Amino acid sequence: MMHRDFPLPDVEWEPAREFWAAAARGVLSIPRCTACARLVWYPIAPCRACGGRGLEWIALSGRGRLFSWVVVRHAWIPQVADRLPFVTGLVALEEDPTVRLVTTIVDCSPGALRCDMPVHVVFRPLRFSGIERTVPAPMFAPVATDGA
Amino acid sequence: MPTADTSDWGFASELDDVGGAVAIVGIGDADYSRASGRTTHEIAAQATERALADAGLGPAAIDGLMYVPFSGDQFTAAAYHAHFGTSHDLWVSEKGGGMVWAGSAPYEAAQAIRSGRASYVLNTFAVAWATQRSQMVGGPGQVHADDLCKQHLEVPFGWFPQPVYFATIARRHMHEFGTTAEQLGAIAVACRRHANLTPGAVMRDKPLSLADYLRSPPIADPFRKEDCCLISDGGAAYIMTSLERARDLRRPIVAVLGVGVGNSHTGVYWSQQGAFTSTPQVFAAPGAFAMAGLRPADVDVLACYDPFTIVSLMQIEDMGFCRKGDGGPFVSGGRLDFDGGALPYNTHGGMLSHAYVLGIAHVVEIVRQLRHEAAAQVPEATVGVYGGYTGPQASTLILARR
Repeated sequence: MMHRDFPLPDVEWEPAREFWAAAARGVLSIPRCTACARLVWYPIAPCRACGGRGLEWIALSGRGRLFSWVVVRHAWIPQVADRLPFVTGLVALEEDPTVRLVTTIVDCSPGALRCDMPVHVVFRPLRFSGIERTVPAPMFAPVATDGA
Repeated sequence: MPTADTSDWGFASELDDVGGAVAIVGIGDADYSRASGRTTHEIAAQATERALADAGLGPAAIDGLMYVPFSGDQFTAAAYHAHFGTSHDLWVSEKGGGMVWAGSAPYEAAQAIRSGRASYVLNTFAVAWATQRSQMVGGPGQVHADDLCKQHLEVPFGWFPQPVYFATIARRHMHEFGTTAEQLGAIAVACRRHANLTPGAVMRDKPLSLADYLRSPPIADPFRKEDCCLISDGGAAYIMTSLERARDLRRPIVAVLGVGVGNSHTGVYWSQQGAFTSTPQVFAAPGAFAMAGLRPADVDVLACYDPFTIVSLMQIEDMGFCRKGDGGPFVSGGRLDFDGGALPYNTHGGMLSHAYVLGIAHVVEIVRQLRHEAAAQVPEATVGVYGGYTGPQASTLILARR
């Protein structure tokens, strides 16, 4: 069943409430296991590494590497039809590269993207046609390099 | 750095040895089509009638029924009895149907037949997704959109549905191993050529050259629409029994020699899968080949669940037909062709070009190949393999003519 403002996230959905609350403050936050300190993503106990059930949300650097990406040119979700093409993909987080955040890649030229290139978090509103509300969200942009 | 050697991302299911315990003695295809207005019950019933006729059995002979409680409206015991006007006891298992279960159903059936709970077991799967497409209800993306982690943490960023997931995997495979668009295209072209030869295939009359493929615009780079499976109405059925009973029936004997099942710890969350460019075939195939006492080099014809070109390529690697990362060169240059290819592959056209009925037609095609009755027949085929896949799981089913 879809909630009312699909495809916006429900920021009150308990397991990810802090993810969206932190994003609204301009912070990238995901939980770690209180037993083994490994990041737990998706944010639902138990920890896959040790089975621990305690989670605490921590602030991350917002740095990572572009693990892989797609240039979406077809509106599988009708609400994105007005902003095609866009780039979506996975970012391997600096603190634990086995955790890959699903995100939107912004401020980039798709032809210049490369797997494993450094990226950093930026906070932008998720906005969909036909939905008034927007939600601030962590997106990622390539890190400017010398000569860029 | 390649992620392919991460070995702790999944595991093999522990299975008893069922090699030689059952044979597939009846096969039936429903009509394959684009949107047809048919229901899944009508489709499954048609496939079942044809499988019964093929085996030379009446509806009262079936005493075991397998389906998957997936996509709703499958051919349950109540539906079976309502269609055929029967009322006898049926052993029922929900570990059948298509996808990974099209390959593992013979394992469950073998256990039931060995223990005397059933003698003739029918497995069916049907979809009417082409008809239902406009509603997007019960369609292929629905199960993912319904998952709350995906709904709230993937979909809002545009990472949805399956073509987007698997294009991301294809991009990473290209990065790690140098796989090219031409190599993915070689898979699409081989499947289309086989569909062009296969009566009833949805793309029977639509040729596809590698040049056509490369000219087609990307829809989710690096995927073109030809990298993605069809959306179809259709289904199929097959009937299993013991080898002893199979000898009394009318068809060449196609025996189940090996079954394997592999699992990934991260389930449908591909974003977090340890070995991002691999499938759980890594864990499924070794057990199946060990059970059968065979090696990949012994296989005459292969059919894999192929929602996308990259899923074919990864399974071919992960089942051991070539080294990990060598799939691109391995599938190129006509090497998947039924007539002279090193590994004849999806000889009915697969889900890319035959019909998207989630793998059950692949098993029917392998049986047809081993009976030497296929349209794109591999000469003297004696060992055939189906690779099933759902994402969280994979299965390997090894069949042989006896």
